[in-house]
Amino acid sequence: MILTPKMLARLVAILVLGVILQLSFFSQVALFHVSPDLLPVLVISLGLLGGTMTGAVTGFSVGILLDCLLVAPLGGASLVLLATGYLAGLFRERFEIHSPLVPPLLCMGLTLFAELGFGAVELMLGTDTAVSGLVVRDLLVKSVYAFVLGWPIYLGLRRALRPALVEESTVRRARRPTVLGA
Amino acid sequence: MYRKQVRRRRAVLALLIVGSFVLLTVTYGSGSNGLQRGVSTIFSPVQSVADGALKPARDLVNWFDQTFDARGRNSRLQSELRKAREEAVGSNAALAENAQLRKLLGLDRGGAIPSGYEPVTGRVIARSPTVWFADVTIDAGSGDGVRVNDPVVNGDGLVGTVSSVTGNSAQVTLLADHASAVSAKVVPVAVQGVIRPNVGDPNDLILDFIDSTKHVHKGQAVVTAGWRGQGIESRFPPNLPIGEVTRASIVEQEASQQVHVRPFADLRDLDLVQVLTGGSRG
Repeated sequence: MILTPKMLARLVAILVLGVILQLSFFSQVALFHVSPDLLPVLVISLGLLGGTMTGAVTGFSVGILLDCLLVAPLGGASLVLLATGYLAGLFRERFEIHSPLVPPLLCMGLTLFAELGFGAVELMLGTDTAVSGLVVRDLLVKSVYAFVLGWPIYLGLRRALRPALVEESTVRRARRPTVLGA
Repeated sequence: MYRKQVRRRRAVLALLIVGSFVLLTVTYGSGSNGLQRGVSTIFSPVQSVADGALKPARDLVNWFDQTFDARGRNSRLQSELRKAREEAVGSNAALAENAQLRKLLGLDRGGAIPSGYEPVTGRVIARSPTVWFADVTIDAGSGDGVRVNDPVVNGDGLVGTVSSVTGNSAQVTLLADHASAVSAKVVPVAVQGVIRPNVGDPNDLILDFIDSTKHVHKGQAVVTAGWRGQGIESRFPPNLPIGEVTRASIVEQEASQQVHVRPFADLRDLDLVQVLTGGSRG
């Protein structure tokens, strides 16, 4: 990802808007008693578009902002989201995205990874209460929501950040018509 | 060139991971810090505006959820209604008797909120996104008189407690959060215990550490114990309604010293809450 000051501002605005939307809207709505989690999807999509560093840095930043606004111990969400973004970026650097199903499926799988990661951080911090079996249902439904949200968010971000995407410009160059016999 | 780039990437990644662990170690258990207070102060007005603007959309989505839910609950509620009607006659008589007794004892304070507490109303402006935490942020803070450990209620009963405060917002740890523990008693049998969450299921709390020799029954109400003695006292005033016992098997009571409680307040769907500020707590 080639970050000019304008693109950086756009990226920061997207992240802040994402966090505010999550806290003020997605966390407060429930379908089948489960709230969608937009933030892993956002970070995964950015990782898929920009690579490992973009995924990791945006995951870390989103996590810090989230922890600040929730007045939670700093670092927990950052750790989980940076790992999630990094893994998405790693996929982008190792494999081609051939099918439109790949981003939503990755969002689904990595959101499940992120939610389990939040649980692992909880355990690390010493949770000693009972855990209901309904957690499993909630995690799976959240992953399904991530699948649904994955494609539109991925497409929206690709459109918004198109000038900064390395691959996009490479593809555009490659598609220039060649003049035969010149 | 490529190797240099890879080394730089690895260094940034390692820095971020180490940074996360350092932040976690430094800030865990220390309440709100300067950075959080600053960010919260900047974003609280934005969150309030976003909360107000997105309320119609939220209500629409939640309406669908509640409609699906209502269809399932309809038959159960009808049978409960029949039972409640039967009990209403007896309850009215008991209420009349109770009112007389309260007057006689001089305990009638004329409201659900205990005397000495000043309620501060706040609106929920943010909610933790993961299933592991059950925290909400409200738009009332230290500027409104809210302090850490103040109890938080809504029209149905106890909701949680204030865990951290900034100038114009406060973090409320709900009863369903893993960090929550409330001393409570079952009425009328006066069995005491500690209300703890069953993480992931906000409709199921656990009344733990109860006296296994006294049996608790399904349908009995659970309220805050509000104990005091030897210079210390509970964070919660006595008799704030918490919920009702939903599962109370003799085996579980005797083996695990616990029963299951459904909170009166719908912890998934909170909008307006009241923080009980002041009081005589230390």
